[in-house]
Amino acid sequence: MRGRAQAGLTAAIRPSIIRRWNTETTSMTGQLHRDVFVVIAAYNEAQAIGEVLRELGVAGSSNVVVVDDGSTDETFQTAKKHAAFVLRHVVNCGQGAALQTGIDFALSRGAPIIVTFDADGQHRAEDVAALVTPIRSGECDITLGSRFLGSAVGLPWRRRAALKLAVGLTRLMSGVRLTDAHNGLRAFSRRAAERIDIRMDRMAHASEIIDQIRESGLPFKEVAVQIRYTPYSLRKGQSLRGGLHILVQYVLGRVVR
Amino acid sequence: MTPFQVVALIVVGCLFVLTLLALLKGWTGRREGVAWLALWLMAGLAIAWPDSTTAVATTVGIRRGADLVLYCSVLGMLVGFFMVYSRLRRLRRDVTLLTRHLAIQQAFDASATIKARADGDLGK
Repeated sequence: MRGRAQAGLTAAIRPSIIRRWNTETTSMTGQLHRDVFVVIAAYNEAQAIGEVLRELGVAGSSNVVVVDDGSTDETFQTAKKHAAFVLRHVVNCGQGAALQTGIDFALSRGAPIIVTFDADGQHRAEDVAALVTPIRSGECDITLGSRFLGSAVGLPWRRRAALKLAVGLTRLMSGVRLTDAHNGLRAFSRRAAERIDIRMDRMAHASEIIDQIRESGLPFKEVAVQIRYTPYSLRKGQSLRGGLHILVQYVLGRVVR
Repeated sequence: MTPFQVVALIVVGCLFVLTLLALLKGWTGRREGVAWLALWLMAGLAIAWPDSTTAVATTVGIRRGADLVLYCSVLGMLVGFFMVYSRLRRLRRDVTLLTRHLAIQQAFDASATIKARADGDLGK
């Protein structure tokens, strides 16, 4: 799946790396996710990113990679105060592109497990442990967070209906039976992350990842997680119109290469 | 021949000559150049002999030559839009790859600086 340009890029950035300056904080539960790299794509999230990173630190995630996707606010500066690694796109490329940058960077640093996490505060840092446990035990290579197996706090009915519609469309188009779609909380083993090559730069990448998981043939499972909706995250999230735009982008992305 | 036909033929003739020049000088690809030459030639013929389009239209089941020209133009524009969109996507993909490469490279440069400083401190 990974393109030639991609392979060249990854090879070019793989040389000798020193790992010792990772900030290693002990979590309140005493569990430290040293083998986990949490990748966060952030675009104009200065308001929320600080708290998200603080929560991750408390929950034991020390290897956090924030990719600032060309923000025009203080996201980069705020992230630098809390995250071990902060990368910056000089222009806004989209969440899909930012996640791929973070995944490539984490792989180049030898990450055994990579978790993708949202920057708007919707995800709970405690859920990282639940996501990585099946991968650590060798049960599967990919775990996908599901709010419908877990819970969605403050989810408006209109958003719920749109998400259910997205689940149905994902099943129809990718042939993968999932209970949730477009949930940014996922975990990949190293070999799974190496096979992911996000080409849809913007929000349609979530469907593309499902397609690539199916094509990879690697075992995956859904894990119950909690999503917390706040007025801020709802404002930043996708509307029904935005959802339709994603669908068009996804279809065009499959047709036009 | 009407004044419109004269002006249109001069314009199309100039475009034909310019395209031929570009093709001979190698400024354009051979396939692309030949396609444009064919288009200018057909446009010139249709302008000089408008009835010829009606004759062609009748053979393909369309009554009026003007309708045939309109349908072909719309179809041509759609193909053109698709090609431009496809090229735009490729261009955007290149920009993304470049941006991502820069981001990772800068992170490594920053790490190397920190490492060099740390090594310097340890050496003291």
